[in-house]
Amino acid sequence: MRFFGRLRTIPVSYRVPVLVALLMVAISVVISERVLDRLSRTQESFLDGLAGSYLDGLTAAVLPAVLRGDVWEVFDALDRSRKSYEALSPIEAVVTGADGKVLAATDPTRIPSFSDLPEAYASRYGASTVTFDRESATGFAHRDLVYQGQPVGAIHTAFDASHIFAERREILVTLLVTNGILAAVFAFGGFLLVRRMIEPMRVLEDHMRAAANGVAEPIPSAEFPARGGEVASLFNGYNALVHAERERANFAMQLAEEEKLASLGRLASGMAHEINNPLGGLFNAIDTLKTHGRTPGVRDTSISLIERGLHGIREVVEAALATYRPERSARPLSADDLEDVKVLMKPELRRRRQRLDWQVDWPADAAATIPGGPVRQAVLNLLLNASAATPEGGRIGLKVERTADRLKISVSDEGPGMPRESISMLSDDDPGPAVRVGRGLGLWMARRMVDACGGKATVEPAQSSGSIVTLILPIREEAKHENSRAA
Amino acid sequence: MTARYPAASQVLTRRSAIALCGSAAASVAFAPGLASAKDEGFRFGLTPVFLSNDLELLAALRAYLSEATGHPVELVSRRTYQEITALLVAGQLHAAWICGYPYVQFKSELDLVATPSWHGKPLYQSYLIAAPDRPANQWQDLKGDIHAFSDPDSNSGFLVTRALLAENGLKPEGFFARTFYTYGHRNVIRAVASGLAQSGSVDGYVWDVMREMEPGLVGRTRIVRRSEWLGFPPVASPKALAGDPRIARLKQALTTMDRHEEGRKVLALLKLDGFLATEPALFDTIAAKVDAVRRFG
Repeated sequence: MRFFGRLRTIPVSYRVPVLVALLMVAISVVISERVLDRLSRTQESFLDGLAGSYLDGLTAAVLPAVLRGDVWEVFDALDRSRKSYEALSPIEAVVTGADGKVLAATDPTRIPSFSDLPEAYASRYGASTVTFDRESATGFAHRDLVYQGQPVGAIHTAFDASHIFAERREILVTLLVTNGILAAVFAFGGFLLVRRMIEPMRVLEDHMRAAANGVAEPIPSAEFPARGGEVASLFNGYNALVHAERERANFAMQLAEEEKLASLGRLASGMAHEINNPLGGLFNAIDTLKTHGRTPGVRDTSISLIERGLHGIREVVEAALATYRPERSARPLSADDLEDVKVLMKPELRRRRQRLDWQVDWPADAAATIPGGPVRQAVLNLLLNASAATPEGGRIGLKVERTADRLKISVSDEGPGMPRESISMLSDDDPGPAVRVGRGLGLWMARRMVDACGGKATVEPAQSSGSIVTLILPIREEAKHENSRAA
Repeated sequence: MTARYPAASQVLTRRSAIALCGSAAASVAFAPGLASAKDEGFRFGLTPVFLSNDLELLAALRAYLSEATGHPVELVSRRTYQEITALLVAGQLHAAWICGYPYVQFKSELDLVATPSWHGKPLYQSYLIAAPDRPANQWQDLKGDIHAFSDPDSNSGFLVTRALLAENGLKPEGFFARTFYTYGHRNVIRAVASGLAQSGSVDGYVWDVMREMEPGLVGRTRIVRRSEWLGFPPVASPKALAGDPRIARLKQALTTMDRHEEGRKVLALLKLDGFLATEPALFDTIAAKVDAVRRFG
């Protein structure tokens, strides 16, 4: 099991060839076993036949001589038979008479005539015609000589079986080499095939990785397999996904833009009001100047009035410019940004006769690398939402606390409490489902800013009524470092 | 050439039949086989005194004898001396190359035709041989051996050793542990060389000639004892055919063999000088051995 577990950790382009090779080895083992078994049986039956006919020939040649006890004739027959049965490569033949004594042997110096047959000869035979002794690579066979139903003697033979074992070894080696080459070829072929098969998966993987890093590109048609099939349909599916995602992103961007414009509209009308308010005073002051301009007290008062009115107008215009000029958004967040928010909120607050609790703790030397534009936009959106949720004459709050490693922004309202979707959009790990409902783009933009900064957003009910939205944005290390150095 | 023989054979056969009618009528009557032998031509028996399996020699010998005698000659081989001797004595062979021992035994029924000459003399020896690595220097050292004899009717391959033992008051079955016959001098050498027998009795002429032809085989034996010189195995014919001109022609063919090209070829194969007309007294030494054996047994 551990083996299979380990095998699973190997990439598929190596695992398949390894498995193919293992399979080939297993097959070759089985085939080799079968072939060798068959071969040894064929060899043995062939040798049995050969030995049988050898013994038949010897029997015919020696029987009359054995009956007469003619030592020379028996020896002569054995001696001549050695040359006639070269295929069997006989090593030795011994003929015994009726009394069990040796009549003649092919090598009389080893087994002399008229001697007793050595013990070992009687016990070396098995059930089949030929018995093999693998150690000495020798085959043994014997035949009883029977004449008219009476045993008259026996022939004991031994022959060289080394060529049989050599042939088996040779075939085994041939099988091993052939199967080894086949296994290697199949494994290599399997490797190439699997590489080829998983190549489209790699293309898909690369594209998915790129998409995870933010650039989802459709797979170009050049990388599509020529013949379609499953891979082409997979690629098509992926491309469809990329296109849908792009459309959705475009749509979201469009909506965000529209929301921006909508809030701009609201702000513009507020600003128009804000500008319009001093305008009445300014025109009055101009009339007063026209009429009583020569009176120094009146003139100074009127000019001062005009100056303050124009100041107020300039503030509003500058704040609006800061918010809607993209080149300014790239700046790090500063106290000015928050001041701008305050200015921008003023007309809306006045319209709804609401009060803003402003608790901003922003040390003068504090510089943050948190991007200014998005944070300002997010804070503005949250404040606008809070204002919309809070009844007229109510109170909303902004609290900014800055510590060494984080910026905490809390926006409170006195509304009836945030809807579930809005809370999900801000604080859930996966805001997807809430976003798809398609409401609260302002909140969605705030959430995206929080995610981009690597921060966190929470929504809690306020003590009396309403909710508190808290954004916690981390201040990155290098920024802190720079700050401490600056300090 | 081949067409001439049957014709000549028929003529000669008829002529000899007429010639034999008177002198050998009794023999014909007692030996019914002779009639058929006459019809088939001249039957010449060979004992395994030499390499009877040498087909080249047999062909050359037959060709020479047929040419020289003017008869088609049939060569007859048998496994044992006894068979050839019996056929010869019975008159079923016209002549045969037999051993000195059967000749002595059947001296009264056989005529000498010719005796081979070896190294200038019609004499040869019998050898007692053993394995070359054996420390045996005299025949007594061979006691207790398994001994190979050539043939019970062979002089050099049996009688000489038998007589030697008899002269010393011994018998083969007592002196040797076991004995067996190989029915051929070459087989005796093979038996001793292979170790089947520890010693053997062999024709000295065969041993010497084979030492040149098969040194590998003969080299695995060595001579322990040489006998005295004895009469070489002769060519004999039945007395019944004494007047037969074919026997005279055979004698002529054999004794003049060294003067014919074909004959010299045969002699070269046999490693003999030629054939001599010898007296029966040449075989008296063999007869003495027979007597010695008879006395002891």
